[in-house]
Amino acid sequence: MPPRPQTDALRGSLDLLVLNSLSLAPMHGWGISQRVQQVSDGLLEVNQGSLYPALQRLEKDGLITSEWGTTDNNRRARYYRITASGRKALGHELENWRRFAAGLEAVLRTS
Amino acid sequence: MSWFDAARTRAHLFVSRGASESRTNEEFRFHLDMETDRLVRDAGLPRDEARRRALVAFGGVQNHRESMRDGRGLAWLSGLSLDFKLGFRMLVKYPGLTVIGGLAMAFGIWFGAVTFQMFGMLTGTKLPLPDGDRIVKIQNWDAKTLQEEDRVLYDYQLWRSARSVTDLGAYRDASVNLVGADGGAQPEAAAEITASAFRIAPERPLLGRVLDESDERAGATPVVVLGHDVWAERFERDPRIVGRNVKIGTGFATVVGVMPKGFTFPVAHELWLPLRTDVAGAEPRRGADITVFGRLANGMTLENAQVELTLLGKRLAAEHPTTHAQLQPHVIPYAQFSVENDDMTQVKALSYFFVVVLVMVVCSTVALLLFARAAARETEILVRSALGASRRRIVAQLFAEALVLAGVAAVVGLAAAQLALTRWGKPYLMMAYDSPMFPFWFDFNLSPTTIIYALALAVVGAVVAGVMPARKITRGLGTRLRAGTAGGGGVSFGGVWTAVIVVQVALTVALPSVVMLVRGETRRVASYDFGFPAEQYLAVTLGVDGALDETTAPEASAALGARFSTSIEALRGRLEAEPGVAGVTLVDRLPGDHHDYRRVELMSQPGSTPSWVATASIHPSYFDVLQAPVRRGRAFTTADGSSDVRVVLVDQAFVDLVMSGRNPIGHRVRISSSAQLDSNVADLRWYEIVGIVKDLGMASMAMPQRWAGVYLPFVPGSQSSPKMIVHTRGDPMSIAPRVRELAMAVDASLRVEQVTRLDQTAASQLWLLRAWTRIIIGLTAVALVLSLAGIYAVLAYIVARRTREIGVRVALGASARRVITSIFRRPLTQVTLGVIAGAVLIAVAAIGVANTTQFKGTGIGGLTFGDVPLLVGYAILMLGVCTLACVVPTRRALRVQPTEALRAE
Repeated sequence: MPPRPQTDALRGSLDLLVLNSLSLAPMHGWGISQRVQQVSDGLLEVNQGSLYPALQRLEKDGLITSEWGTTDNNRRARYYRITASGRKALGHELENWRRFAAGLEAVLRTS
Repeated sequence: MSWFDAARTRAHLFVSRGASESRTNEEFRFHLDMETDRLVRDAGLPRDEARRRALVAFGGVQNHRESMRDGRGLAWLSGLSLDFKLGFRMLVKYPGLTVIGGLAMAFGIWFGAVTFQMFGMLTGTKLPLPDGDRIVKIQNWDAKTLQEEDRVLYDYQLWRSARSVTDLGAYRDASVNLVGADGGAQPEAAAEITASAFRIAPERPLLGRVLDESDERAGATPVVVLGHDVWAERFERDPRIVGRNVKIGTGFATVVGVMPKGFTFPVAHELWLPLRTDVAGAEPRRGADITVFGRLANGMTLENAQVELTLLGKRLAAEHPTTHAQLQPHVIPYAQFSVENDDMTQVKALSYFFVVVLVMVVCSTVALLLFARAAARETEILVRSALGASRRRIVAQLFAEALVLAGVAAVVGLAAAQLALTRWGKPYLMMAYDSPMFPFWFDFNLSPTTIIYALALAVVGAVVAGVMPARKITRGLGTRLRAGTAGGGGVSFGGVWTAVIVVQVALTVALPSVVMLVRGETRRVASYDFGFPAEQYLAVTLGVDGALDETTAPEASAALGARFSTSIEALRGRLEAEPGVAGVTLVDRLPGDHHDYRRVELMSQPGSTPSWVATASIHPSYFDVLQAPVRRGRAFTTADGSSDVRVVLVDQAFVDLVMSGRNPIGHRVRISSSAQLDSNVADLRWYEIVGIVKDLGMASMAMPQRWAGVYLPFVPGSQSSPKMIVHTRGDPMSIAPRVRELAMAVDASLRVEQVTRLDQTAASQLWLLRAWTRIIIGLTAVALVLSLAGIYAVLAYIVARRTREIGVRVALGASARRVITSIFRRPLTQVTLGVIAGAVLIAVAAIGVANTTQFKGTGIGGLTFGDVPLLVGYAILMLGVCTLACVVPTRRALRVQPTEALRAE
């Protein structure tokens, strides 16, 4: 069994953030990392590379697809795009997340 | 089929591994470049520093790359490659097993690859030509005689109307004497062929042009196209050869072209002459033999063509019921030798089966060796299992080890197969088929299918040798793991391994009797008694078939016969006048060669079963030249050669076998025209026996028994390839060039085809027998070495496992004899069982062969009583040698010290 690169919690949130970023527009890896960086307040600060195994995993699961494209300054880059089942999974995950957050908030409020 | 999908994905990933790696690299590079640019731009860092920070922020590049690789599911592959590495290490660590097991497997694969390639070649139907699998042959098949009817010149005219076959053409073997640049005449393999042949085999000529339709017209200038070798050897590569006139047979022809090297269409020809198929007066089922070929038209299959030709055949049968009622045209692939191909398919299937069995038997012994090795590594396997390796992983490891061994064996076996095919393949086929014509589509380079077949054999071998013992040894791993180092348990050799050893020993015992049989045959053929000093004689095969238009009409072929008989008689006269020649005679079949075998009936014994006899037609000078004067009665005279005199001579074997010793002179016999006494037996004429001679090689060398011989007078002009026997005073071969010269001088169309010393006619047969002897000796050696190694491995393992027990027994005062007996009991039983099984095998085979009607009374397979002690001796020797294999482990066992034994485990 190969060692897992991240803990499950991080992995879950990373997948969620990637899918969320891609739901706005197709992006290349570095773009996604910048986006995740902004919204997560430094989740990938020290380990940007761990984004790529996550992208590969999501692609293997059929949640995203990728193809070669050109950037604005004319460089070749791999662009990722969310698939229909990716959007579905994202909605599902967000719902879960909201329910979890709401539950957590309820617990915190009562205590 | 989820395992299938998974396997496909894995295979895809494996194949696209390189692509994935480079994609990863490119993405990482892009990311780092972008991040560096950002840091330079936003934070105002110098480029080097920005790069460093980008790398830090990215995290370990190598780590990420690894986790991507893992994500692609290649982890198991890298594990497998580790298994292979371990497999190679094992090869080096156990050299004995590597050499013995590897060589044995290599032998099996070698044998398999050679047979596969040979059969592929003999039965393959694809020609190395454009559309090579669409080129066909059309043959007439006689449903009554079950033979091909090649006199199809008449049918060919109608077949040309077929639409399913295009570029229809025909050729006729027409070997001719060709006079080279030096003025010497030599027969060359020529084909009279239609111009369409050069569309079927489209090859650009080296010089000049190929044959053209206009060359086939009546009155066209005779032309010839030369093969590369003929041009090079006979005309010294003359670049201005085109346009020159050369002498071919009795006439001349203008050279119009030279073909490049390697072009030998239609079979193995070196000279092409136009074939005139529009011969006036071609009658149904007359004329020379021709072969008709063509290419399947676009969109047409062999079946379509067959349907059309069947219809054409029915039309001919309706028009010419007397000749064509039983004839049926068949469309077959060009490379297929005959319409009836079933024999070959059966032999092929049988030998493939034999090869698989051979490889399985060999590999099961290798399995035994690997099992012993794995058993000795039991601790290692237990530790791996304890560390979490699944049973499947351990089996995979042992399989990988066997696969590495089998892979090395496959490489060695294939290399040896290529060597054997290049060096002995061609001579083998030439000897076996007794023909110098070697089809151009026979290719002795290992074909991709042969390589795949050999690799498949290796994988099967690895499964037998690796998976079988691995499954056995990993059974109940958990239990053994729990038993820990308590010292009990351990793996034991079961019934399967006993069976393997027994089979192995049985083979080792049985195979030498086959060797003895083949060697006996070799000796018999080598010491064949001709009844006269054959080494002083030269055997010359003459070719006397005339031009195509001379063979079609009955009057023409009669004239041809008369011309050749005059030429041959003239040649005989000229040769006899040569100083080194003692005598020259003529015969239709050479002594020691196959003869016509027919049935003979005695007038004095009506209704009795007709006896088998061999017949030969001889010149009146025959017995004088062979220095074997007639014993009783008289020899033939020239007057006996006419067709209304009906006298025969018989040999001593006829007197002994047919007449039971009575005097045959004056008796009358009738002789069947073929192997059976025909239905028209009443029409057969009676012949009177007028003389007796000694046995003079009427039984062929291939036949072990005596055959009664009957000599008929030689009717001049009736033979298509008469043999001339020349008695010389010195070395027979020294007169050979003179024979050619004289033949050319007497009649330029008389071809001297084969010239050998008479006692050398069996050379090819001996060569074949010796080749087979070597192969079987090889097989025996492999079986012997494998059984010894197997016995040794098992015993060594048993001793190692029972060290503690032996030590305790010795400590408790057990005598060495008792210890030895307890160790020896098992291998001794196995070897004894094997020897008995082998002996039974020989006996069954010998009895079976003896009771097969075909071999009855021939002595083939007859194990004489003299052979029995030899075989018993060999069996005892085997027993002794097998015992030797037990010596080393036993000595090791007896040297075990009780203290050491208790510390063991």
